Amino acid sequence: MILKHFENMISGIEAKLKKNPEGTNARKKFALEIARLGKKIYSGGERIAWCGVIAPFDLLNAMGVTSCFIEFVSSNLASTGSVEKFLESAEHSGYAIDICSYHRAVLGATIKNQMPMPDFMIATTAPCTGGLAVMEVLAKKFNRELFVLDIPQDESDKNIRYLATQIENMIDFVADRTGKPLDPSRLRKAVENTNETRKILKEVFSLAQHIPSPAKGRIFSGVVPALNLFLGTDTTIKIAKAFRDEFKNIIDDNKVDISNEKFRLMWLQSRPQFKTTIEQILEKQYKAAIVVEELNDITWEPIDPENPYDGMARRMISSPLNGDIKKRIEQFKNLAQDYRIHGAINSCHWGCRQGTGARGLITESLKEIGVPVLNLEVDVIDPRNFAQGQINTRLEAFMEMLGTRPSPW
Amino acid sequence: MYFMGIDIGSLSCDVALIDDNMNIIATSVIPTGARNIEAIENAKKLALSEAGVMESDITATVSTGYGRRRVNTRLESVTEITCHARGMNSLLEGTRVLIDIGGQDSKAIFLGKNGQVLDFAMNDKCAAGTGRFLEAMARALQVDIEQLSKLDYGAKKNLTISSMCTVFAESEVVSLVAEGIEVNEIVSGLNRSIATRTSSLIKRICPDLKDFSIAMSGGVANNSGVVRALSKALERDIIIPPKPDTVGALGAAIIAGEHWLAKK
Repeated sequence: MILKHFENMISGIEAKLKKNPEGTNARKKFALEIARLGKKIYSGGERIAWCGVIAPFDLLNAMGVTSCFIEFVSSNLASTGSVEKFLESAEHSGYAIDICSYHRAVLGATIKNQMPMPDFMIATTAPCTGGLAVMEVLAKKFNRELFVLDIPQDESDKNIRYLATQIENMIDFVADRTGKPLDPSRLRKAVENTNETRKILKEVFSLAQHIPSPAKGRIFSGVVPALNLFLGTDTTIKIAKAFRDEFKNIIDDNKVDISNEKFRLMWLQSRPQFKTTIEQILEKQYKAAIVVEELNDITWEPIDPENPYDGMARRMISSPLNGDIKKRIEQFKNLAQDYRIHGAINSCHWGCRQGTGARGLITESLKEIGVPVLNLEVDVIDPRNFAQGQINTRLEAFMEMLGTRPSPW
Repeated sequence: MYFMGIDIGSLSCDVALIDDNMNIIATSVIPTGARNIEAIENAKKLALSEAGVMESDITATVSTGYGRRRVNTRLESVTEITCHARGMNSLLEGTRVLIDIGGQDSKAIFLGKNGQVLDFAMNDKCAAGTGRFLEAMARALQVDIEQLSKLDYGAKKNLTISSMCTVFAESEVVSLVAEGIEVNEIVSGLNRSIATRTSSLIKRICPDLKDFSIAMSGGVANNSGVVRALSKALERDIIIPPKPDTVGALGAAIIAGEHWLAKK
């Protein structure tokens, strides 16, 4: 069923791209790569590794492993409108409804034999312990070995070496299971590609900060976390360039309607992965645009090709989703300033302790710089926990409130 | 010139009619029932007849409440949060913290000095602590909803209704009745339960209440037992304006007037 979905997605997007090859196609090109990855995973012919969200995908790609974080599956099930039966399947097996639905959907897919058997698994202890627990369930179910990267909380030299050593051990673990040792020249090329992707994405962010922003609606939503899966390959460079060129053209050709941007909004955590009318309500009724998402950001420095493991370790440790909340709050403040944000919306995804535990601190900190926060309290995967009427009232009241406030910029 | 505000809530449909000096001419409150279009028409007719005004004399209408988009004649629709804030500011100027408990929503609103909304919080998806909750509890106790507000008199036991969900709270009430617990003790426990939930909403938007006046709107403000429990929980007086269930409709009518005059 899921394989068929990805195959249909590929043929549909390819037909659209063929019909209008010169159009605004960056999002379609991105979606096509997502569908191709999905097809690869579900076809059964590839070596695959289920991973944690911040695993070093460039290194795994350099070793020829098709690797993917498990939340990829939940996100795709939600976007196709078919997630509910998987969630129910997990619930029928005793997993409580207040467990994060990203993970509940994966558990349901596993129960319904819709999670492809991996060759091995690589978990990370950050950003969330729930994800790690599900990886352990999967490892047992599939009788596959689980390698756990223990991510320390702060960026001391000692911690970087601690994690870098684990990454080196992970290379041996992977090579033992694939029978293919790491080729140093492929690793160098992967690191160069990673750095090039970083550079281009920074250009994309800079263009997205333009007033009015070319990154409205859903065009750039969720791109950076998903692109991480292709890090180290030419694919990320190709997709990042497509967004950069498209945004540049939109701005140069004055294709952005400035009247649609009375309010510039920042989204915290993920947006709902199923279809909603949130963007239409915001853009059509209130001329408000979500111009940046928390997860569409790069907070790590280029990786030194001469010392890649330390660089990868630093990248993982420095993630704002790892360690104390100060890092994440600082990131939000920087984004608010860079994108000239008038208000922030925090989805406060149900069941996400890491994401919502600090919502009070986040709200207070952004309020200090004049950016009010709407805490939506929705489930971004489970549409059963998404009451559109109540959400609309909250969104609309927030917009009415913004309309009475002076701009912080 | 006359301006109309219509608040189509889940339990009641409220109408306020004002003149161009923003004086209240008439209000009406009727149950929404299953057909909200009919309820809107009936509530309008009632208010117009009380005022002796023809519908054709209405210059502009603003709608609010969950059914706000069902009013075809509206100039615009505005959320309950903004309307309650605007309505309360006109009735009790200087109110900074507003509690609105309606049929299915509880809201805490923090107002600026000029009555603008600075922050707000709404109840989560559950209807516990709202008008629906009280309706269900009145049903479980086999008493009239209006009676409920006085039934807590003389309660001494500090009973707690622990369930956070309307359905479970109803079965908890049924169990307490079966145990022979006096009705006043149960009602007092219910009021405390609503007060606890509502206080946490208020503290989210205004952690320190000491310098701010607090007012309450919405149908549940007519329930003196809940107001007493809330006042005790917050250790503050709560001011109730006349006809608290029409505050949202009044705010909508005022917005209709202001927006119409601004456009002119």
